[in-house]
Amino acid sequence: MGKYILKRLIYIVIVFLTLALLMYMLYNLIPTDPARAELEPMRKTLKPDEYQELYLKLRADLGLDDPLLVRFARWIGFMPGKNGQLNGLFQGNFGYSNFYKKDVRTVIRDPIMITAFMNIFATILALGITIPLGIKTAVKKNSLLDKSVQVFSIVGYSIPIFIVSLVFIYFFAVLIPIFPVMGTKTPGSNFSGLRYYTDMLYYLCLPLIVMTFASLGGMTRYVRAAMIDSLSMDYVRTARAKGVREKMVIYSHAWRNALLPVITVIIGWFLGIFGGSVIIENTFSINGMGKLYIDGLTNNDYELVLAMQMFYTIVSLVGILLTDLSYGLVDPRVRVNK
Amino acid sequence: MKKLVALILVLAMALGLVGTMAAEEAAAAAHPVGGEIIYGSSTEISGDWAHGAIWTNNASDNMIRGLMNDYATVAFDQGGAMVMNQSTTQSIDSVTNADGTKTFTVKIAEDLVFNDGSPIKAENYVASLLLFSHPTLLALGSKSTAHLTYVGGENYAKGRTLSFKGVKLLDDYTYSLTVNADKVPYFYDLSYASLSPLSIAMWLGEGYTVHDFGRGAYLRGKMDEGTLKPKVEHARFLSEGRITAGPYNLVSYDTGAKQAVLEINPNYKGNFEGQKPSVQKLIIVKAEDETQMDALKTGAINLLDTLTGGVDVNAALDIVNEGGYDFVTFERNGYGKLMFQCDFGPTQFKAVRYAIAHLLDRPEFANTFTQGFGGLVNGPYGLAMWMYKESEEELNEKLNTYAYSLADAQKLLEEDGWVLDAQGNAWTSGLRYKEVTAEEAGDYKHNVKVGGKTLMPLIIEWASSENNPVSELLVTMLAKNPDVTTAGMEIRQNIMTFAELLNWMYRDKTVGDQYGVPTYGMYNLATGFTPIYDMSYSWTLDPELIAQGYNSNFLFDEKLDKISMDMVYGVDATEVEKYRELWVEYIVLWNELLPEVPLYSNIYYTVFVDKLKGYEQSSLWNFNQAILYSWIEE
Repeated sequence: MGKYILKRLIYIVIVFLTLALLMYMLYNLIPTDPARAELEPMRKTLKPDEYQELYLKLRADLGLDDPLLVRFARWIGFMPGKNGQLNGLFQGNFGYSNFYKKDVRTVIRDPIMITAFMNIFATILALGITIPLGIKTAVKKNSLLDKSVQVFSIVGYSIPIFIVSLVFIYFFAVLIPIFPVMGTKTPGSNFSGLRYYTDMLYYLCLPLIVMTFASLGGMTRYVRAAMIDSLSMDYVRTARAKGVREKMVIYSHAWRNALLPVITVIIGWFLGIFGGSVIIENTFSINGMGKLYIDGLTNNDYELVLAMQMFYTIVSLVGILLTDLSYGLVDPRVRVNK
Repeated sequence: MKKLVALILVLAMALGLVGTMAAEEAAAAAHPVGGEIIYGSSTEISGDWAHGAIWTNNASDNMIRGLMNDYATVAFDQGGAMVMNQSTTQSIDSVTNADGTKTFTVKIAEDLVFNDGSPIKAENYVASLLLFSHPTLLALGSKSTAHLTYVGGENYAKGRTLSFKGVKLLDDYTYSLTVNADKVPYFYDLSYASLSPLSIAMWLGEGYTVHDFGRGAYLRGKMDEGTLKPKVEHARFLSEGRITAGPYNLVSYDTGAKQAVLEINPNYKGNFEGQKPSVQKLIIVKAEDETQMDALKTGAINLLDTLTGGVDVNAALDIVNEGGYDFVTFERNGYGKLMFQCDFGPTQFKAVRYAIAHLLDRPEFANTFTQGFGGLVNGPYGLAMWMYKESEEELNEKLNTYAYSLADAQKLLEEDGWVLDAQGNAWTSGLRYKEVTAEEAGDYKHNVKVGGKTLMPLIIEWASSENNPVSELLVTMLAKNPDVTTAGMEIRQNIMTFAELLNWMYRDKTVGDQYGVPTYGMYNLATGFTPIYDMSYSWTLDPELIAQGYNSNFLFDEKLDKISMDMVYGVDATEVEKYRELWVEYIVLWNELLPEVPLYSNIYYTVFVDKLKGYEQSSLWNFNQAILYSWIEE
């Protein structure tokens, strides 16, 4: 088992480095001059000598005159920076946001917290609803309940989240004003402690409802399909023939076996807690990772975007390893050391 | 007799004092202080509060900085004219020196204090220039270029001298600034005398002072990068307890919610007119396009600033009609445009530029694009500019509107020699060609050789940015206009990102050799003006400046270059009428050369709850200035 994990970790490093190189090259292939782009809004207020001095300074600061591979080696931390010290990704330096003029680590600190806070709630809520519902509809296959859930889940699954958000805002924030339209806190408030979190939760209620609603369809159908498959197996028939109680048949025999395909999705959801929803965060004006990512792309803030992508790469690679290991926990037949 | 004179003097002084006090009280107590406004900003706050765009240049940050810092010695009034700030400045005297340099001596008021009550002295004004131009700060990313304006600035910024020769601290309340000879005379030279105070205690902490022993001012204290970096990083983003001098104090900034709260600064003396704010609390939040109208309706936002486009404006006006809301409207200080590069291909010929203008129904375009909420200009000006307002009649007489006319377009093209077809025969239909000289032909890729002659086809290569509604409307109303084909012209749209469009426009070889080759003759983009109307280098003939991106129209006209320079560098600040005359001359010549075709100039709307009274805004008078004159009536 230890050897297997070590091997996988080595793969992770190789894949990470390859992806880092590809991503870095890709962003640097974009035909734009970041120094000029940064000064463009100020051009009219600067005299030529002022513009030129700033332009040359920015190019030097951004290292734009150095070869691409040198820049990459500095960014990743294989080569000393201009101050003679190694200070790249491998040394824990996520880079510098050229738009915010701050370290990337500082820029992503708040958005990652908000996104994780939202996603944990949304995931728990969604799983709390979809798993029992999926099991119930599988057990009561072709019943009125099953057919109704099928219809609603396919409708929910098909409507773009953007539309769902606007419809929910219209009904629950404008027509029946029980939730706020946007934001993550009461404007002008200075709450602390529990009050701060309850206020934030109140503001995040509507986006959480939308996120949960949007994820109901897919997961319910996924659980239902896995359960129907599992319920049709011989061991379920055998258990029933042996007179095992129906609840035991469903939750112990069928559900445990149905869990294997479902667990991939569940772990994927939990791994996605750091990944923000671009649409929901933009619609509800939430300063999360999705919004930050889009803003980073819009503002040509490539070090920020690259750092976020590298972070997601690591999360995904580690997540895949965890998923593989978790299969062994759920199903002893696929344990590596067997 | 002496007693009588003394009595009269005493009476006069007393009356004067009472009068001044009454005026001050009237300004301060005209409206009740209280209430709050939630301002919905179209751009997100980044939380960098360093005044001026020293590090970042974000619109929301700039607005909040403006609310926190308003003690500059020079201000802009409601019409965009530069004036001495009467609240902060006792006098600004200037003298031209024998070596051509010009010295401004500024005496500040002696009763100025920061929001924490600490006194503001001349050293605080000088410190802002000394700190942000210091070599260590420049290495830490300061984008200040002010040092280039003053004598000794370059040496100071490069670390060759410890003191800034052209900056003098004369006494506790007086400083002087000496401007380099090549920067004067300048019509806007009052801007050279403008500095804003900086709290040395907040930016640098204990142990830092400004000194001047006659060789120029300097900052005393440890100024190495290791010492300054944490101090500066702290001061830039400090939100609570920030020491500033403006109408409002930043009370808090939530980095998670991106929400800033400001409250009235009780120590604020007033703006350049002595005006103090009455709205007690301002909350700045980000408004999203998709939900901003719902937010306005439900009270999540109280004011939406500078709305544009028919969809948003109509939605906002619907809300106003429902009651409880009010609005102001004002013209944009800029315009959307078609821009030509005038040194190659068909657009190098004035007649072709005229013909394109005649083939686009501009009033209809402006009306369609802005859905009725826009206007049209015929030159590089904004309708709110004082120069325009004073010259409107004259401009109406002198400017060509290039009214829609296929016949005029065809006539112009024929007169200019676009009379051949691809074989060199007389043109009857299809694409027009013109016989051109080797110099005119250049490397234009569509040229053809017929019998030893070079023929240039009337193909306009148009660079248009992606996902741009202006481009889409231009396709319909210009590129695919049947009259364009009838006129013998072809307009080819080339869609690209805006960043790439700029590469082509500036012919920026640093990002790829291909961009150095003149390729597109026409671009669509927009332009905006600041209150300082300075076009001095926009039409430069200097190849070095052109390589830097100046004169991106590549229009090499000596007269236009000269007028645009003379307008600001050949006129003293006192010669307002001379400036206006040159400005009109410049606009008329521009309109004749037509390097650009103005397409539309939006009419902006700012919508707000009607409890906000007295709110007046213009493109030269922003929210942070206008809110000072407003009050809340619940």
